[in-house]
Amino acid sequence: MATRIEPRDPLTQAQGVEQGYAQTARRWPSQPLVRRPHGVAELSGPRDLAHKLPPVKGDLAGYGAKRALGQLARLRIRVLDEDGAPLPGTVVEVWHCNSAGKYIHPNDTHDAPVDPNFYGAARLLTGDTGLIELRTIKPGAYPVPDTGGWWRPPHVHLSVWGRVWLSRLVTQMFFPGEPLNEADAILNAIRDPGARERCVARLVPSKGNEMIFEHQLVVRGRKGAAVLP
Amino acid sequence: MSRLVPTAEMTLGPFFPREFAQGANDLAGDFSAAIEITGRVTELDGKPLDNVILEIWQADAAGRFDNPGFSGWGRAATDAQGVYRFRTLRPGAAQGRAPHVNFLILYSGLMRQLQTVMFFSNASDPVLAVVKAKDRLIAKPDGPNRYRFDIRLRGGEETPFFDD
Repeated sequence: MATRIEPRDPLTQAQGVEQGYAQTARRWPSQPLVRRPHGVAELSGPRDLAHKLPPVKGDLAGYGAKRALGQLARLRIRVLDEDGAPLPGTVVEVWHCNSAGKYIHPNDTHDAPVDPNFYGAARLLTGDTGLIELRTIKPGAYPVPDTGGWWRPPHVHLSVWGRVWLSRLVTQMFFPGEPLNEADAILNAIRDPGARERCVARLVPSKGNEMIFEHQLVVRGRKGAAVLP
Repeated sequence: MSRLVPTAEMTLGPFFPREFAQGANDLAGDFSAAIEITGRVTELDGKPLDNVILEIWQADAAGRFDNPGFSGWGRAATDAQGVYRFRTLRPGAAQGRAPHVNFLILYSGLMRQLQTVMFFSNASDPVLAVVKAKDRLIAKPDGPNRYRFDIRLRGGEETPFFDD
């Protein structure tokens, strides 16, 4: 069945230029974005992406002498469309910093220690119920490079493909109860409190040796014919 | 029917893993009739941007998006000079559309994805028709089987972007 994409809601999606995040005013277009009709190009998408983007590293925490520093966490992330239908077999890319707030990346000039047992990048495929599970450690907070003046709360970057080209989703997942969440310029660029809340994972009670965080991602798209603007 | 609200998009940030950004910019593979699309991505004041992530989606040479022998999806990153490069097939006209390549741009400081479209000529097309500065979406020939498509995020000669 065909997929329909409706316009973004300005309350639940960021609008581009944000006070307190200087780079946005150099990069977001000054001209209004243009509405276009949706046809086969916009409402189709790659079907065998896992060929080009094969799964890598289902466990970032390691074991024994190779165990990464930090608090063990299991992320259970479910990918759904707007109708609530799970997306099986879709690619999910995950990346986050180590427990001291350091990324293994040439752009990270932050003076925090590298953990030789942690490399924070994984690529997974969702299972039949749209779920990925990733064993990792909880990331630390860090000061934002070259903008000055704010600390990012612990967060996990997520990149997901939905059913069609227009359902691509790149976002971040936050952790519950973090005081830095209240002032984060990226989380708070979302005006609607409910939409912000849905970007924060839920801690599931666990007696095991891993904290369990459940989270849900909703990619754009409903069943139905395209609506012309 | 109840509807779930799409998750809020957020910036890619400056630390997208290097190996994720690489290895997917050659869509043409063993096809001999490849073209090259290159361009520079700049911000305000024309400053080139390093490690911008660009993803493309296009039809095959016959204008089909569902060819099992050709996946029209690719990803590239800009270098320190702001230059990206794709090797692909020249797409055909598809179902009322002129030949085109869809671009999606992700970067630190872009609070959500930006989308634009590259065309090969000022042909009749329902998407090109809604754009005022049409010439900025038309690639410039740059030698045999080479096309140049610069993307200016903001400022003079700003590239038109779409909201969907």
